[in-house]
Amino acid sequence: MISPARALLDLPPFGLSQAHKQSRLLPMLRALTEHHAERCSPYRNVLNGVFGGAHRLRVDRLEDVPFLPVTLFKTHVLSSVPESEVLKVLTSSGTTGQQPSRVFLDAETASVQSAVLVKVAQHFLGKERLPMVILDHPGVVRDRGSRSARGAGILGMAQFGHRPFYALREDMSLDEEGLRAYLQQADGRRVLLFGFTFMVWQYLVQSLERAGRRLDLPGGVLVHSGGWKKLQEAAVDPRTFRERVQAATGVERVINFYGMVEQVGGVYFENPIHHLHAPIYSEVIVRDPVTLEPLPDGAPGLLQVLSCLPTSYPGHSLLTEDLGVIRGVDPEGTGMGGRCFEVLGRVPKAELRGCSDTFAARA
Amino acid sequence: MTAEPRTPLSETPPWHAVADRVRILAPAQDPVGLAAFLDATRDAHAEPFAAARMDTLARLSAALLADPVLRRDPASVSVAYWLRRAQLARLAEEQARRAAAEPDVLRVPVGRVLHLAPSNVDTLFVYSWALAYLCGNASVVRLSQESGVVVEALLRVIGSVASEDSELRTSNRFVTYGHDDAITAALSAWCAHRVIWGGDEAVAAIRPLPLPSHASERVFGSKYSFAVIDAARYRAAPEDERARVASGFFNDLFWFDQMACSSPHVVFWIGAPEAAESAARDFERALQGEIGRRRFQPPVASAVQRRTYAFGLAASADVRVVLEHPGFVGVHLRDRSALDKDVCGGGLFRHLPIARLSEVLAFVDEGDQTLTHWGLDRDALREFAALAGARGLDRLVPIGQALAFDVVWDGFHLVDDMLRRVRVQGA
Repeated sequence: MISPARALLDLPPFGLSQAHKQSRLLPMLRALTEHHAERCSPYRNVLNGVFGGAHRLRVDRLEDVPFLPVTLFKTHVLSSVPESEVLKVLTSSGTTGQQPSRVFLDAETASVQSAVLVKVAQHFLGKERLPMVILDHPGVVRDRGSRSARGAGILGMAQFGHRPFYALREDMSLDEEGLRAYLQQADGRRVLLFGFTFMVWQYLVQSLERAGRRLDLPGGVLVHSGGWKKLQEAAVDPRTFRERVQAATGVERVINFYGMVEQVGGVYFENPIHHLHAPIYSEVIVRDPVTLEPLPDGAPGLLQVLSCLPTSYPGHSLLTEDLGVIRGVDPEGTGMGGRCFEVLGRVPKAELRGCSDTFAARA
Repeated sequence: MTAEPRTPLSETPPWHAVADRVRILAPAQDPVGLAAFLDATRDAHAEPFAAARMDTLARLSAALLADPVLRRDPASVSVAYWLRRAQLARLAEEQARRAAAEPDVLRVPVGRVLHLAPSNVDTLFVYSWALAYLCGNASVVRLSQESGVVVEALLRVIGSVASEDSELRTSNRFVTYGHDDAITAALSAWCAHRVIWGGDEAVAAIRPLPLPSHASERVFGSKYSFAVIDAARYRAAPEDERARVASGFFNDLFWFDQMACSSPHVVFWIGAPEAAESAARDFERALQGEIGRRRFQPPVASAVQRRTYAFGLAASADVRVVLEHPGFVGVHLRDRSALDKDVCGGGLFRHLPIARLSEVLAFVDEGDQTLTHWGLDRDALREFAALAGARGLDRLVPIGQALAFDVVWDGFHLVDDMLRRVRVQGA
């Protein structure tokens, strides 16, 4: 199957109003649902067992599109293409010790994925490949066999930079000397920085602040992703984070990024009013975590993400374990159509204590 | 109670080396360290069912009910009720009746009991300990290091009763320590009876640690439990009876996050598939009604966890998952092939239609503990239990009684475990 997203590749990635976008996405997601129901038997089983039958589904709104819990990719093989057509398997594990998710990409899905990522990233970063500083150590992407989600995320972003420089040493200390040398070579060009939110904070911002030094990166952009939990614990809100990053590095923009390996095409960058913004290929729905009823804008709940990209595996509609809230629709002043939202954190893990843990070790 | 050692300690007992690695949770502020306590209690004993000890437990019952945290925790309220004077008196009477049947047997305490408490059922250690105490023993109760608010509150109350009760204070220690076989081994060397409150992993880890040659041991491995309902009778039952069943099942299901050994994970419906299905749907509606009536708010984490689990079941097999009830997830199976004994917890159960009760036999094994039932006759249940026989099942009780504590547990009389029978025959 040709990915429905191809039909949107000629449009600007935020170039449809919410109403228009929904009317484009609805038939695509309907077609993807049918496509995966035919080709992926665990997915078909779920439609039959949970959603009342693959052939009796009525999908009149995006909210009607059946979904899978994102963690199902950790426990089940969910693929809609023959093994011979699998080009690559993306893996990630949210936390150590868990089974990793496995996401099967064929040539079509992989190629649309990178096309969409480029389109969305270019909207925020421009077309030029910028000198890039990665706030991590090079070892994190070295070992292909056991690549972590962190490594995969870095490689995904690294394609937007030119000759990236890894600014941390293996012990997570900032290689300030090497960094300054790299920046000197960049010779005043705009620089792209990328790192995980907490690492940016701890190993770049705090490290520079402690040393009483700052970088000078006018026009620079920091893209950061990853959970806020540790920063919340340190009582650092997004605004404080931005201001302190800007003070320590001189970058012009700080852009948060949200996405997950389980859903290609679900790439959410922070818009100019500081909310994550759904591009035309994807949609975000907030549901009551217990009843699963879709919630109105402004009400916090469980995030469901939709994408018209994946044809090789049934990841077009996923219920995440992240809590979030819709913050706006076609927001004024951004020039961007569609919904924007905020991620509020992760649903707390169920601490179900087994019958067998008088002495059982807990992770 | 006597506490004077009859024989001097010939060598330093093993617990002296580990005592400082054990944290005493209750009683609080006792100047006597753990090593001295263990030394002193080697020869301590009291009379079984002594009036003073029954008084202490009755006082504890009142104190538990007065505690602001515990009186809102139904499982703790249950413990408190079980410790009421009238209940203890019933237990003592039962014991007296049993003793009367054996006039030449004298029951004396086993002496020293080591309890290794489970962490999935907060209140269980109180029952285990109270029985040992009632029977005249000294106890060391090892609790998990990650106790929650309920356990903390229980210990606080026990500690406060102990502060005004020297017998309670001098014969019991509630302790915690990390994974340390050396400590468990040293405490095992002290005890005359060791109780391992499961499950399988804990039993496997602790059972190899040696006991004194004359000590006994009771272990409780992981157990599995389920319910059986007669579909036709259920469908014919009036609304208020169904509400009672729902209320009972609510307790069975939600106490201890459905992670107790007695928590049901399957409801077998006796009847034709259509009748069973229809009864199961009615049952779910009544249960959700009960959840609403009690204004029970399931933790979001449990809701997410059980839903994910249900999707996993649906992906792998031909089952129907009912998500319409926010308080729980019902998974409807068509036949036994999709049924296993994997445990989800947090409010998920499977429904399976069966033609007759005896079909459950194929599912029963030694790891099964409680069958809760509704609409079944006593004779049919006795016949079923006899047929299951050595293969399994320890209790068959009405729905609503799954978590009620009983001195007969997993097939053993716990009072008997805490006592030694001395045959006394005159000339």
